[in-house]
Formats: sequence, C-alpha cells, structure tokens
Amino acid sequence: MKFFDFHVHSAFSEGESSLEELVSMAKKLGYSGICFTAYPLRKKEENFLKVEIERVKKEFGVEILLGFEARNLRELKSLVRRRREFDVLLVRGGNLKLNRIACETPEVDILTHPEFGRQDPGLDYTSVKLAAKNNVAIEMNFREILVSTGRSRSLILKNIAHNLKLAKKYKAPIILCSGAITQWELRSPECLISMAVQLGLELREAKLAISKVPENIFKQIAERKSSDWILPGVKILK
Amino acid sequence: MKVKKRLKTLIPTLRERERYIAFQIISENPISYIDLEKNLWDVMEEFLGEYGLSKTSLWLIKNLYDSKNQMGIVKCNHKSLTQVLACLGLISRLGESRVVFKILKISGTIKGLRVNLFKGKN
Repeated sequence: MKFFDFHVHSAFSEGESSLEELVSMAKKLGYSGICFTAYPLRKKEENFLKVEIERVKKEFGVEILLGFEARNLRELKSLVRRRREFDVLLVRGGNLKLNRIACETPEVDILTHPEFGRQDPGLDYTSVKLAAKNNVAIEMNFREILVSTGRSRSLILKNIAHNLKLAKKYKAPIILCSGAITQWELRSPECLISMAVQLGLELREAKLAISKVPENIFKQIAERKSSDWILPGVKILK
Repeated sequence: MKVKKRLKTLIPTLRERERYIAFQIISENPISYIDLEKNLWDVMEEFLGEYGLSKTSLWLIKNLYDSKNQMGIVKCNHKSLTQVLACLGLISRLGESRVVFKILKISGTIKGLRVNLFKGKN
C-alpha cells in the first residue's frame, strides 16, 4: 500500500525545513509521495519553487506535488482562476464562510483543519453533504493535535472526531495529513492511521484516507492536466 | 506450608494477546534509554490518563533496546495497539532532541521481530 502526505509546509511557506530535509524524512518513514503546500506566491518565487521541486523529485525518486493553500476568499478566487497551473488546491479552514465556500467549490481538493482556532467543529451536515458532492476531502490534521496540550487538545480531538463522523455519514472523502512545518513534525503513516482510528474511523477507512483518497487526487490532477479537460465535469469526448 | 516465590502462569484462555511494536527513533542527537522510557510513559499518561494507560499493559523491553541504531520494542495488548501507536506519534521530543518514531514492524510474538530486526544481536 502506498502512503501520501498532502499537507507539508516547507521553508517556502512559513515552514522551517528545506525541501530535501522534508522529502528525505518522508522517504524514511515510508511515504511514496508528498505535496508541498505553499501560500500564494509571486510568479517568480512560484517558478523557482517548481524548478526546485523537479530537482528534488529527480534526486529522491518520490512523487512530489505542488499545492496552494488559500487563506481567504480573495486568494481562493484567484487560485481557482488559474487552477491548471498547480497540482493541489487546499483551503485553510477555520472560518465558517470559507469552510462552506470550500465545500461548494469543485476545484478545491482539500479543506484543511476546518476546526482550526474554533470552539465548534466548523462544519455542519449541509457543508459536508456539499463536500461529498464536490469531492472535497476533509482533512484530519495531526499537527493540530501534536502541538496542543490539555484542554485545548481535548477540544480539538472532540471537534475532529465530530467532523470525521459527519464525513463518514455523508460519504465525504477524508484525508489524513501531518500538516508538518518541519521534518520533525512528519509522522509515520501507522501513527496517523492509529490516531484516526482513535477518533472514530474504522481501520480500513483510515487506511483508505491516507492511501486511496490521495491516489484519487492524483487521478484528478492527471485528468486536469490533459488537453481534453475544460472545467470540473466538462471535458472533450473524442 | 512452603509458599512458592513465583505466581503460577495463567492458563492460555485467560492470557492477554500481546502485540510487539518494533520502532526506530530518528533524532537530532543520540537518545538514551532513560529519556525514552520517561517520555514514553509521560506521553501515554497525558494522552490516555492513568486508567487508560492501565488498560494497555504497556511495557518497554529494556534488554532489546539497540542504542546504536536507536531501535527498540514496546509491548502492549492487542486491544490497545492503535492507542499505543497514536501515542508514539505524539512524542515529539526526547530530552533536548526532536524525534520522529518510525514503526518498523508489528508482531504477535517477540521471536518474529527478533528474527527480522535484531539478527545477530542476541
């Protein structure tokens, strides 16, 4: 079984580790691919990041993707407009309105930590139904659990468990990510799977959330990059 | 009447089914066994609580800790395997060093792990 981590921040986007350090650690832990998540960059920086990713990809022989994480509505709109230029579109959750819009947008691949900085889970059943319809994966972010302690950790665990329960009920895709900003925050796939099991997923579902769901995103990327693709749901049939 | 020093072993149907988790610690600096043991128990207690920890039958096997390769084996019962693995993921520091746990193999017998991972050591 192949494992993927689709939410890793490098030094290009508020992270602390270089691409090489992150990829090397991911490879040691048994990942077949990772996605470097960045916040929207200037054109020049973006091109430099793409070149660096290609270089590291050849050096380590691991699948590496480039993802952009929208922090607000303006960034989301601008990223949706140029959706074909990068691989994965993530939306940083935490804002109720943004969570809802992310679930309504078929161009979005992953809604990251919808409960981020909130007392409530950040998602209701209508949003999750929309996420299922538009194939937007709901993330379980391990870093949130890792860096918190005591009461705040228990609140985060409760909220994540609630979101996973809704996603299970309405068959929305669930994805397990480390959310790491240094190579020391990457975690072994077995640890992520086990944490998801603790939060209410079946073992089989947890395994799918770290292998099959990312593979489906890979398929979508390949489809989007083909010349026949026009819009989500619209492509040229020969 | 002479009292025996050791308890009688449990009959097989009453014994717990065990799981042995072989792990490797990837760290900034070398890690001592004492740091590992203290932090493992602390993190487990913090996450699961005293009651939850008592249900796991956790044990870190001292004589199988390989300080050179930073590999070791932790034992628990089969019902609490996912809890222990989740807790291993929650250990981010051992002493002053940042660490990541790599899970090498999980087995129902210690022999299976020793054959695969500690060849020639014992």
